[in-house]
Amino acid sequence: MHLKYESQLREPLVYGDKNYHQVTEDIVRPIEAKPTRLWYIGFYIAVCLLLFGVYAIYRDVTYGIGQWNLNKTVGWGWDITNFVWWVGIGHAGTLISAILLLFRQGWRTGVNRAAEAMTIFAVMCAGQFPIWHMGRVWMAFFVLPYPNSRGPLWVNFNSPLLWDVFAISTYFTVSLLFWYSGLLPDFATVRDRAFTKLRKRLYGVAAFGWTGSTKHWQRHESLSLVLAGLSTPLVLSVHTIVSFDFATSVIPGWHTTIFPPYFVAGAIFSGFAMVQSLMVIIRKVFAMEDYITMGHIEAMNKVIVLTGSIVGVAYLTELFMGWYSQNKYEGYTFWYSRAYLFSPYGWSYWGMMACNVLSPQIFWFRKMRRNIFVTFFMSVIVNIGMWFERFVIIVTSLYRDYLPSSWSVYYSPTIWEIGFYAGTFGLFFTCFFLFAKYFPVIAIAEIKYVLKTTGEGYKGRMDKIEGESLETFVHDHAH
Amino acid sequence: MEQKKIWQSFGELNQSEAYNKDVKDEFKEELPFVAEEGKSFLEAKAPRRDFLKYLGFSTAAAAAAASCEMPVKKSIPFANRPEDIVPGVSKYYATTYVQDGDVVSVVAKVRDGRPIKLEGNDLSPVTGGGTSARVQASVLDLYDTARLRFPTINGSEVTFDAADKSIADALKDNRNVVVLTSTITSPTTKDAIAQFLAKYPGGRHVTYDAVSYSGMLLANELTYGKKAIPSYQFNNAKAIVSIGADFLGTWLSPVEFAKQYATGKKINEKNPSMSKHIHFESVASLTGSNADEKYLHRPSETGAIAAALLSAVNGAAITGISNEKLKAGIAKAAKELLENKGAALVVSGSNDVNVQVIVNAINEAVGAGGKTINWASTLNYRQGVDADFAQLVEDMNAGKVGALLIHGANPAYTWYDADKFVAGLKKVTTSISFNTKVDETATLCKFVLPDHHFLESWGDAEAKSGYYSLIQPTIYPLFKTRQWQDSLLKWSGDSKDYLAVVKNYWSAKVGGETGWDKALQAGVINPTTIANPTGASFNSSAVAAAVAAVSSAKKGGKIELVLYEKIGIGAGQGASNPWLQELPDPVTRATWDNYVIVSPAMAKTLLNIDLNDNGQADAYEVNPPKKVVKVTVNGKSIELPALIIPGTQVDTIGIAVGYGRSENIGKAAAGVGKNAFPLASLAGASVNFSNADVTVVATEEKYPVALTQTHSRYDTAQGNRTEVMKEISLAEYKANPTEIREDREAELKPYGGLEKFEGQGTIYPVYDRPGIKWGMSVDLNSCNGCGACVVACNAENNVSVVGKPEVLRGHEMHWLRIDRYYSGDMENPNVVFQPLMCQHCDNAPCENVCPVAATNHSSEGLNQMTYNRCIGTRYCANNCPYKVRRFNWADYTGADSFPDNQEGIVNDVVLNMSDDLTRMVLNPDVTVRSRGVIEKCSFCVQRLQESKLNAKKESRPMVDSDLKVACQQSCPTNAINFGNANDKNSAVSKVRVDNPNRQFYVLEQLHVLPNVTYLAKVRNQDEEKKEGAHA
Repeated sequence: MHLKYESQLREPLVYGDKNYHQVTEDIVRPIEAKPTRLWYIGFYIAVCLLLFGVYAIYRDVTYGIGQWNLNKTVGWGWDITNFVWWVGIGHAGTLISAILLLFRQGWRTGVNRAAEAMTIFAVMCAGQFPIWHMGRVWMAFFVLPYPNSRGPLWVNFNSPLLWDVFAISTYFTVSLLFWYSGLLPDFATVRDRAFTKLRKRLYGVAAFGWTGSTKHWQRHESLSLVLAGLSTPLVLSVHTIVSFDFATSVIPGWHTTIFPPYFVAGAIFSGFAMVQSLMVIIRKVFAMEDYITMGHIEAMNKVIVLTGSIVGVAYLTELFMGWYSQNKYEGYTFWYSRAYLFSPYGWSYWGMMACNVLSPQIFWFRKMRRNIFVTFFMSVIVNIGMWFERFVIIVTSLYRDYLPSSWSVYYSPTIWEIGFYAGTFGLFFTCFFLFAKYFPVIAIAEIKYVLKTTGEGYKGRMDKIEGESLETFVHDHAH
Repeated sequence: MEQKKIWQSFGELNQSEAYNKDVKDEFKEELPFVAEEGKSFLEAKAPRRDFLKYLGFSTAAAAAAASCEMPVKKSIPFANRPEDIVPGVSKYYATTYVQDGDVVSVVAKVRDGRPIKLEGNDLSPVTGGGTSARVQASVLDLYDTARLRFPTINGSEVTFDAADKSIADALKDNRNVVVLTSTITSPTTKDAIAQFLAKYPGGRHVTYDAVSYSGMLLANELTYGKKAIPSYQFNNAKAIVSIGADFLGTWLSPVEFAKQYATGKKINEKNPSMSKHIHFESVASLTGSNADEKYLHRPSETGAIAAALLSAVNGAAITGISNEKLKAGIAKAAKELLENKGAALVVSGSNDVNVQVIVNAINEAVGAGGKTINWASTLNYRQGVDADFAQLVEDMNAGKVGALLIHGANPAYTWYDADKFVAGLKKVTTSISFNTKVDETATLCKFVLPDHHFLESWGDAEAKSGYYSLIQPTIYPLFKTRQWQDSLLKWSGDSKDYLAVVKNYWSAKVGGETGWDKALQAGVINPTTIANPTGASFNSSAVAAAVAAVSSAKKGGKIELVLYEKIGIGAGQGASNPWLQELPDPVTRATWDNYVIVSPAMAKTLLNIDLNDNGQADAYEVNPPKKVVKVTVNGKSIELPALIIPGTQVDTIGIAVGYGRSENIGKAAAGVGKNAFPLASLAGASVNFSNADVTVVATEEKYPVALTQTHSRYDTAQGNRTEVMKEISLAEYKANPTEIREDREAELKPYGGLEKFEGQGTIYPVYDRPGIKWGMSVDLNSCNGCGACVVACNAENNVSVVGKPEVLRGHEMHWLRIDRYYSGDMENPNVVFQPLMCQHCDNAPCENVCPVAATNHSSEGLNQMTYNRCIGTRYCANNCPYKVRRFNWADYTGADSFPDNQEGIVNDVVLNMSDDLTRMVLNPDVTVRSRGVIEKCSFCVQRLQESKLNAKKESRPMVDSDLKVACQQSCPTNAINFGNANDKNSAVSKVRVDNPNRQFYVLEQLHVLPNVTYLAKVRNQDEEKKEGAHA
């Protein structure tokens, strides 16, 4: 006899039969408690990395780009590789928030806040590279089209680098607004629970005077939709424009029309992998397994296997075109510089293939999709693979291009190039640790939408009843 | 009528006090800082606000003044301007480059009192305006910080008077005075030496050349009765056979020979014909790389080849040569020589008398005398005979030399047995050096009286008898130096100075003061009529003995060695010059080192590197550290890295001399390479620069070699990149003259073909380009890759020297480079040189990618670079298909606004280049680039502007003769044409119109529309050598 009917369509999005108060408690608790020892250690390491990065940049600015191993042929190396890598990572957040919001994907609420934060920090990290890779960074403001006293000089709107400036600054601004507008009700929650005056004041300012009135909620909802609408094309446009840096050039291996969709797929791929890496840690460290559930992890693994396969198809298409075009320059780049394992950079191409195309196929198995360790391991592998992809595109195309006379010596980074990259990790994790400590890592207000409190409670009670004997039931209800 | 009162306010109407005050004061408010009598500033009206303003401003000003180091301007204006100097306008003085025996007539560009650039002197029929890399670089030697700045006795500074006195004492009653010099071509100097020696009976003059031509001099004495070298006329030769003579690079007078040689290589498309150059050599050289056909042999076979060639031209069988390829080569050479009897020439680089005697015999047999060899005029570049010097060393050791006066020669470094010379020098009581630096020899001499640099000197030179070139100073001597001829004259008791001697000598010959002035202005004195080449009577009695001697020479061992000179460094004279050290060797493309050259076949056995294996070839190419090998010769060992250079005989290795010099001669020489002179040996009367039996073993070590080009083939497994380089054999060209054009047509067919490519190759509109359109054309047949243009570009455009550590990292800054490609057989390939500079594309890919429009297109077709707009994203460099853009990776020039950022980042050589003295060589018309910006060839835009302005001042259109860009000017073979391509009468237009079949653009299919055209390389070969086979 079944006294309840349970939908078999999907699992609940939040486990643990939470009520609204419990949700608030669970999420705000880490903000109000003293940070753990682990947090301090992590934060310390992150700050050290950041400082090392700052020193690496100091050297680069003072002594010149010669601090890096770039040369007359390979003008971009780790710098732009890392730039594209971080920008790619910065895609998942907005994708999760905006596109999934528009598609009414309820499961996004568990992860969107942290994913958006990740996006913003990743874009901040990405932005460092095009800035500090300039030979004369103190003149960087030349890229801004503002009325100036330098006569008729104006930026060059033909240059994809300038498009980058606009694309990334727009993306950053919209993502930041979207993220922050979502934070408003949650900051108000923290404010309302504040136990010191300072907290109350600071969170009060951050909450912009949110009172939770219906009008506020109505405007909040509209704003979210509008920003989601704005962000959605940006998710596609940013990496499309980043891909134009390469696609509009004349260099074999760069000059490819497939780049925009291929880059966007790759960005989502790496972004989701990064979200996975962080989520697996957060849910463990903050004991949020109930909010960031296996369902989330599985859903994101599905996205990973899909986008990974799209990227794989793109790789194969490139290889095919390298042969089919019968262009000897492209042929050389794709079939020798890249796909020939024993060429100087063959290892990076096959590293990329192994990480991005082969290994994610493991997620065709449900068991693997729902395995925390596999998920974490794979998320790291995918990000390594995606780094290789950018390295392959940039370095293997440049180091042997048209004139064999100018083919480059082997390019490998100096400690300062690596230091700069490590520094952006430092920046990223410093921000992320601060975020985890002071911000609600899960959207409190939004996750409450998807609680199935009533249904779950009912289900619980019914389970109990079903398990009882008729006598007990009668006895209990006889009064 | 009473005037109506018009008022604007009640105040005005009533003439109130307040109103009147307002009208009176210009400003409504109280003026600040008007200190009232007896009151301090702070008590003045409204002091607080003003005080704060004042404070703010002064703090900011103080901070600004304290933090920004203001540059100290060390310029002093003329109180009285010299009449003939206009600041900012260059003056040109004809003078002569003289270094040891090398002589090239030049014109020095003097800007505000400083010579900054040397250009070839067009009036010289010998060099015809051509120069070499070393000539171009010599202006930097003037400003060398390592020059000795005062006379010294035992290393401490003295005055010339004191030195003269001590030397007079020392020379008094001295019976055995020897003047030791490198070759002297100056008649007046020879007179001065004679005059000096006349005062010291028993004295003698010994001429010593580091790399001597004793073999030739002695052979000519034997066969022609003259210890001299005749003139060669490569321009008259239809068949040229060279047995190891690097006459385009380092042999005797390469500038002159390159010019003559190029006349036989330039092609008239309508009636193509070329001279035929067959080359025999052991180690790849510049001349061998330019040969139509090249045969490789062991150094020990040189004599046998000469003998075989002699018997072949005499119609006898070829004997004594076992290698079939070589045999065929000799037969072919003989055939060519005989077919072109009277227009044939054989030259040999051997220093062996017997070989040269045989070569003379061959030349007689093919009728070279009076046609391609001219005895009417001798070449005086090298006059030293090694035996004379060896005798001197013996005498010194025997204590038979009382005083030794040394000028130019540096035997403590260049003599094969330097220790013996040094030991002998210690026994000489009075040793005097006139060398400009404390080099290896001068440091051992008691007296050092530094000579002027040639740009500070008076003098003359007769490098080719009958052709004189005058030397005049272009700058007041920078240091306390004295011309050594003045010293000689003084010590011989002559009251005249050397200038008076030179002037008297020449005034008498050219018609007094006016004639002298005219000659000085022209810089050269040429024979009034150029006589036809004449031969000399040949005495064949020595030939049989010579043939017998070479036939009985012992066979070589397993591995043989050749010592050679590099085009920039020579016998070590260029070692202290950073421009020359950084000039990539044309053959090996290496900078800043010497090394052991090995063939690809030897690399396989010795180094375990198989260049036919892609993986191994890649590993060799992309990693600068090369395996070090140990070479042992007669018990002397030298360890050097090995470079694999195709075109080298399988069992032969080559090592360049001129390296491993004392750091006293300059920072550029310190620690660079190793000295290979000790590996030479004395054979009979001459030094032998090869050795027939050496051992070579690979060591475990590796040593980085700074190569500027790592890959040298344009064919790949994915296709032959013929759009990069086009070469063809003469036979093929004659059979199908339009082949190259057809190739281009086929390539561009989908985009409208050659005619319509510009419009149809793009979706964008095509613009007219009226007015001036600068264009360049490079003839790959004339270019021999010598590198003069590269150094000329350095000098003209203030191109930075970056030092070896930076070249290793691919940071060299050359705006113009000479790419070298191999094709065909890996062991003995065809070699082609391609000068590559910015192509000034009309549809330039660098321009559209710059976010700040720092590089853009001028209305005259220049791709121009705006340094102060550049923010250094390097996108343009990435997107340049020609990879000609150069980035300032560090503060190479000291021009950066960041202080103290050179130490520890760039090496001493680079630091020294931004020394105040060295910086005097900078061209003030060209911006010195700072760190973080991109730079590249500008087509010498400063010269273009000057020529346009000059034409404008004279109200006429600009014509070709108004300008020559630096590379074009320096070229000894006129391989580069430059001018207004829209002008139908300009040379560049004519070249393009006249050579439709050989012309091509590099990477034309990209539709970047370059403004530089190349004329394809045609080799005088009978059949097509196999190309495209990827080794």
